[in-house]
Amino acid sequence: MALDRQLEILAVCGVGMGSSLMLKMTAEDALRSLGVDARVENTDVSTARGMSPDVVIGQGMHTGEIADLAPVVITISDFLDKEGLEAQLRERLTEQGWLS
Amino acid sequence: MTARSEGAATGAAAPGAIVAAADGATAGDWRDAVRAAASALVAAGAAGEGYPEACVRVVEENGPYIVLTKGLALVHARPEEGGLAVGVGVTRLAAPVEFGHPDNDPVDLLLAFCTPDPDAHVGTLSGLARALSGGLADRLRAASGEDDLARILKEALPNA
Repeated sequence: MALDRQLEILAVCGVGMGSSLMLKMTAEDALRSLGVDARVENTDVSTARGMSPDVVIGQGMHTGEIADLAPVVITISDFLDKEGLEAQLRERLTEQGWLS
Repeated sequence: MTARSEGAATGAAAPGAIVAAADGATAGDWRDAVRAAASALVAAGAAGEGYPEACVRVVEENGPYIVLTKGLALVHARPEEGGLAVGVGVTRLAAPVEFGHPDNDPVDLLLAFCTPDPDAHVGTLSGLARALSGGLADRLRAASGEDDLARILKEALPNA
């Protein structure tokens, strides 16, 4: 891939320890299928504001608040939809030149 | 960690996580539903008395994001709000309720969890995520009753 390091990916939710952990698992599965070398962390929206990942993933009610946090912000509605997230990741990472 | 409750919830002591189940819970709105789901953890001895209201506040303050997927909510609050042990509960509603989620309403199945610290639940919840991807919600919806709900949930969790 075009990036010479691990991608830093952040899964966010309101409390930062339940739903976002589920999302982290889904994202890890999707990234594995895509063959992307990435580190996925999960946290709450407030903590996320102090971080600078490559990609943020969360529900629209949260990603709207942190739209300028990362070059790629992905909005999902289903935390368990691996195929849907994989499709979004494929498209957005390719746009960035991080996935060929 | 010995918890066995009577009435609406069945609790089981386990080395990894306390499992609780409640079937046919009636809820007038999403707040009632969240309270019912979190109360199963209180009844099982995994969470303190204040936990259900803390779980309601999470949604009031952060929106209905806990509705993870169609029809399913993951009820929880921070450990300091009353998590006594790692606990996972399942509550099946008699009639579904609206959370105000743009895509995933209405909700008929609630999973609830609590944890005594920010890390103790990670293994259990990872197992739960894996089980949900593998069709756990459908298996819970098809359960024959409260004991069956508890059995199915327990089978899905590592160390429960």
